[in-house]
Amino acid sequence: MTGKIRALVVAGALVAGLAGCSSSDGDGSGGKVTLTYAYWDNENQGQAMTKIAQEFTKSHPNIEVKLQFTPNKEYWTKLQTAAAGGTAPDVFWMNGPRIGLYASQGALLPLSDKIAADKMDLGKYPKSLVDLYTLDGKQYGIPKDFDTIGLWYNKALFDAAKVKYPDASWTWDDVRAAAKKLTDPAKGVHGIGAMPWSQELYYNTIFQAGGYVISDDKKKSGYDDPATIEGLKFWKDFLDQKLSPTVQQMTDNDPIEMFKSGKLAMWYDGSYDASQYFKTEGLKAGVAPLPAGPKGKATVIHGLANVVYAKTKHPKEAWEFVKFLGSEQANRIQAESGAVIPAYEGLQESWVKSMPGLDLQAFIDQLPDARPYPVSKNTAAWARLETDAITKAFTDGQDVEATAKQLATAMNAALSQEK
Amino acid sequence: MRNGSALRGGRLWPVHLVLAIGAAAMVMPFFWQVLTSLKTFTEATRTPPVWIPSFEWGNFAKVLDETPFLQQLGNTVVMTTGRTLAQLLFCSLAAYAFARLRFPGRDVIFVALLSVLMVPGQLFLIPQYQIIQSLGWLNTLPGLIAPGMFSAFGTFMMRQFFMTLPAEVEEAARLDGANPLRIFWSVMLPLARPGLLALGVLTVLWSWNDLMWPLIVNTDPESMPLSAGLSALQGEHMTDYPVLMAGSLMASAPIIVLFIIMQKQLIQGIAFTGSK
Repeated sequence: MTGKIRALVVAGALVAGLAGCSSSDGDGSGGKVTLTYAYWDNENQGQAMTKIAQEFTKSHPNIEVKLQFTPNKEYWTKLQTAAAGGTAPDVFWMNGPRIGLYASQGALLPLSDKIAADKMDLGKYPKSLVDLYTLDGKQYGIPKDFDTIGLWYNKALFDAAKVKYPDASWTWDDVRAAAKKLTDPAKGVHGIGAMPWSQELYYNTIFQAGGYVISDDKKKSGYDDPATIEGLKFWKDFLDQKLSPTVQQMTDNDPIEMFKSGKLAMWYDGSYDASQYFKTEGLKAGVAPLPAGPKGKATVIHGLANVVYAKTKHPKEAWEFVKFLGSEQANRIQAESGAVIPAYEGLQESWVKSMPGLDLQAFIDQLPDARPYPVSKNTAAWARLETDAITKAFTDGQDVEATAKQLATAMNAALSQEK
Repeated sequence: MRNGSALRGGRLWPVHLVLAIGAAAMVMPFFWQVLTSLKTFTEATRTPPVWIPSFEWGNFAKVLDETPFLQQLGNTVVMTTGRTLAQLLFCSLAAYAFARLRFPGRDVIFVALLSVLMVPGQLFLIPQYQIIQSLGWLNTLPGLIAPGMFSAFGTFMMRQFFMTLPAEVEEAARLDGANPLRIFWSVMLPLARPGLLALGVLTVLWSWNDLMWPLIVNTDPESMPLSAGLSALQGEHMTDYPVLMAGSLMASAPIIVLFIIMQKQLIQGIAFTGSK
């Protein structure tokens, strides 16, 4: 979250830098070319990235790939600083909230022509992800991986309370009934965790209630829509009825840790946290597709993409590498690492199998109901307002409806600043 | 003295109690770090917390395997030494000029310098990056050291210190025919030792822990200092805390040893900056 603020601060500097600076020398000495590839998760994905880079050099002996790791928190600051200096990495990881800013500032190379020339089939990736990286009709990124949200549950707590495990048939009412039965104040166990997190929690229920976060033309906030407010109230009710720990308690103790230690019976969380639940000894967790709301099923889908820097000295080689990153071969390497669900069609199976016993298929089965992560050109400008407002709505015992409507007004003002 | 002896009896215990609680609160995070560095991943993340670790010494070996630790330790030492020596020299030279020399525009320049203190450091990132880039120093030790060689804060602090020194000593030296540089070097600088020590301590601590700049300017693990290098052990959604704690323990060990050796001077130094 803090990264988003920083992104906003440096955004202005980025524009200035792009306009004013040029790179000095080109090492076009023929023969070997070295590309840099920047990413932000070394602990879980470093090995897969190294292997992919090595495999690429095997098939392209004249191109070497140098990996450049920066931790997530500092990644965007570093990228923007380097972009202002005209020396950003040739290829790098990109995410949904930032693609609009980078693409509209001209920091990314449009790939549409190259995709057409090489007849690359974007149908191999989930459509909502391809769309996420399309801006004004141009494709800027090739999907790398994706994540959806599922209903995680603690099997031991369900057994103890004699509640049936969640399955694909569940609706909001089933969650409400189960949360009541599972909450046990004497043991400090809560039925569910109603944390004000967007991607994992309230975006999903907003969509399930038939609401929206941002209109399709990116001009209007959805927070004054009654259906959107219903999606927020779903969570607020758990807080009011003390079926969830308070937001304060979950700020002091990470709700992920609370779920791992058996203090939360149900918990909405992304596929990216599967490996840590899998590795937690003594936790018997299961996962089910998200329960349907008044307007049916929905889950947020988000995924990273590989993008090419607009001022790269080696656009041809960088494109070759991005094409390889999007290939079946590279996606298979990612799948086997178990860290993320690869974007390439048909390879999700090996990810599911990498953690036996967790029923991870639930994440894949939800793809038909997946809704793209809501973004605009300058997502950071309103995401901050959103976080503050929803946290307040969930915390103070304030009226959700009034807070949401205030947020809609502020967000509309932010959106009107975008060109 | 009388107060001291009166207190030495039974009435001192409440003071000791408060101090003991304070000390425990200060030491606790380090103690917990040591414990965590010896745990397995599951022990480290379990609630309620596990107190007795299963002594996984392998965590320390893992740090050496996963990062070029010794190389990065060397980088940290060179970076810290370079920055500290340079700051001691440049800041005290500038400070002496601001404190004792008279030249036109002195106070205006000094105010301009102070205004640098009010600007958040992040704003310097892009210009500093561009300068280092044009010098061709990206990914090098000079790139790490150069922007930390001078500081407005250090100059301000040393100026305040020079102002408190008696003018008579300086006048005596001048009557003996010493030029300003000579006065600075042979008379004032030796008198300014407590101030230099304080500045040195602060610069060493700041430089040893500096994370943002090294991460921005250097991209190869081999050219990073420890602070930036250890961040490679941190994942986006999952971090192996015991290994990270083992790494940071090894990284802070030299500073802890330095503290034990120079405890008295360090406390003097920090007390001095606090009182100004």
